[in-house]
Amino acid sequence: MVKAKETLIPRHEEPASSAPPSPAAASVIGLSKRFGKTSVLENISFDVAEGEVLVLLGASGSGKTTILRIIAGLEMPYTGKVILHGKEVTELPARERGVGVIFQSYALFPKMTVEKNIGYGLRIRKRKRKEIRETVNELLSLVQLEEHRKKFPSQLSGGQQQRVAIARTLAYKPEVLLFDEPFGALDTQTRVHLRREIRALLKKVNVPSIFITHDQEEALELGDRVAVLNVGHIEQIGTPFEIYNRPATEYVATFLGAANVLDAVVREDSLEVGSAHIPATLDKTRFQSGDCVKVVFRPEDVSLNPGDIPRSGYPRLANALIEEIAFVGAYERLRLRLEIGAEECKTDETPFYLTTETPDRQPTKSIIATRPKPEASTTRLHVGERVVVALTSFTVLPPQVLKGAN
Amino acid sequence: MRHVRGFDVARPLSIAMLVFMMMPLVFLPLASIFIFGTSNGLDKFWAALTAPEAIFALKLSMATSFWATVFNVIFGLFAAYVLSRYNFWGRNALIVTISLPTAIPTAVAGFALLLLWGPYGTLGRLLTPGFQIMFTAFAIILANIFVTFPLAFGVIKPVFDTMSHSLEEASATIGATRWQTFWYVTLPSLRGAIVSGALLTFARAVGEFGSTILVSGNLAGRTQTAPLYIFAKFNEGQIEAANAIAIVLALFSFLIFSVLFFARDWLDVD
Repeated sequence: MVKAKETLIPRHEEPASSAPPSPAAASVIGLSKRFGKTSVLENISFDVAEGEVLVLLGASGSGKTTILRIIAGLEMPYTGKVILHGKEVTELPARERGVGVIFQSYALFPKMTVEKNIGYGLRIRKRKRKEIRETVNELLSLVQLEEHRKKFPSQLSGGQQQRVAIARTLAYKPEVLLFDEPFGALDTQTRVHLRREIRALLKKVNVPSIFITHDQEEALELGDRVAVLNVGHIEQIGTPFEIYNRPATEYVATFLGAANVLDAVVREDSLEVGSAHIPATLDKTRFQSGDCVKVVFRPEDVSLNPGDIPRSGYPRLANALIEEIAFVGAYERLRLRLEIGAEECKTDETPFYLTTETPDRQPTKSIIATRPKPEASTTRLHVGERVVVALTSFTVLPPQVLKGAN
Repeated sequence: MRHVRGFDVARPLSIAMLVFMMMPLVFLPLASIFIFGTSNGLDKFWAALTAPEAIFALKLSMATSFWATVFNVIFGLFAAYVLSRYNFWGRNALIVTISLPTAIPTAVAGFALLLLWGPYGTLGRLLTPGFQIMFTAFAIILANIFVTFPLAFGVIKPVFDTMSHSLEEASATIGATRWQTFWYVTLPSLRGAIVSGALLTFARAVGEFGSTILVSGNLAGRTQTAPLYIFAKFNEGQIEAANAIAIVLALFSFLIFSVLFFARDWLDVD
């Protein structure tokens, strides 16, 4: 993974994310899983540090739920190990692992009141009545459900049920919390509200957590780190900032929001995209002159200016023709046809990702750009107009990254 | 249908017709039991009811039905658990076999039991002559079990099927053993099904006649259940005696079905 121009945007200085502070609260090593002859997981390894929130992000069928179920002990891995706080638990049944699972359906016990649900973990551990009552009271106030303590789950809203589910697992002090698409059943407004609440709650109780989701926005907002899964292997693990701004693979780039992908050839001090050149100095150990690479950039990384001079010193990419302008609320989205001639390095493989906002790369060489409202209203652009395109930030990927490499 | 100022003629007409049709089929037969039973005065009725053989028949019916119910509820629970939790070869065959006794005529069921456990039956001949099953209360329990076999199972299994598996998984991850999960999570959700399954089984067992008359020997004061008593007294021409017990059995089934009907909310409470 190489950032083409280190100085283009100020980068948040963050601790090296690939090595979380030891000891890991939970780790999986070399996990694989098969159902019959179909392999659903291949060599999955990651650590979760104490108090950290890791999000497993992937489309349906990427194997994220299976990973969660293996950690919880509800499923056996084909190979690999699960380690919780330094202790190997791969062979232990679910009940002896001390993990807390928040199921998508919450799985609250319908015949127990809120109180009874929360106290269940302590009751089956034969704790003293007084201790159970105190813990339940504490948790009820933590999740702000004191006035609902005598209610049954069916009398609560989805968000309240979820808070009960969290409190129920916190009661027995789990080694790690596992969330299985916890917001899947809720409407958009509640989801956004709840995930902020839960993020704050998790930071308060400081229990290491693993979330699974297919929603990239949710992953970026909730996770201290995010692992992007694709058909059973991890494409990249990193902070939300890293995976969004420095995607390791084309899949990661396109899965996390819209991305423009152009084929390019590495030259001495630039990248050649068709007839256009982007000045860039690349890491010589990874890219050599003449290599075919892909240039990946987000729609908001595209800077447009009418006329022929790029905006405030950003490296000019090419001229482009505006094909379409759409107003999408917070910003303006434009589709542009780049005037760059034929790209020299056309790779045969045509990756197909289900990202609606990613434009077709071949053969039109259309790109998508977005402009924030202030810019859109001060510098008006029209369909059919010629503009000069510059990139404020981009990532260069070798075209065929091996599976799982990063 | 014509509406006259919001008055729908079809409504009272169809209700009246329904009641009229049910009159000779259900209401009148039931009513006649009560009319005849009490026509000779309550003293006679009471005397018929408290005759030692009558009391014995009622007690025997209750006791044998009780044990058959206990067995069938526990068995039904177990069978429903196995058949809805595990998928295996021959599973459907087992489900069909369990449900089969409803389709078998009760006389055939009694006959089959006789052939198996009778003094010269396949298994019965292995028993010592002093310890026979047929023509005892055990035979009545066996017959009751056979005839009511699928009832509790049939009520409990659908509830098992629709119960979310994640409840049990959640309980396991919280740290419960299988037994604790069953006791605290699974069983409470089955409460309604268990109670209605038990009532159905019991009601059906108390009224069982066809198989009982074959396997019990119909010995008054020893193996005569309430329905057999009614039949015996009727044959002897003692209509009052038969009638008194008939009233008790009819009232009893009213009671059970009222519980099933009116306690539905309580049974399904969330």
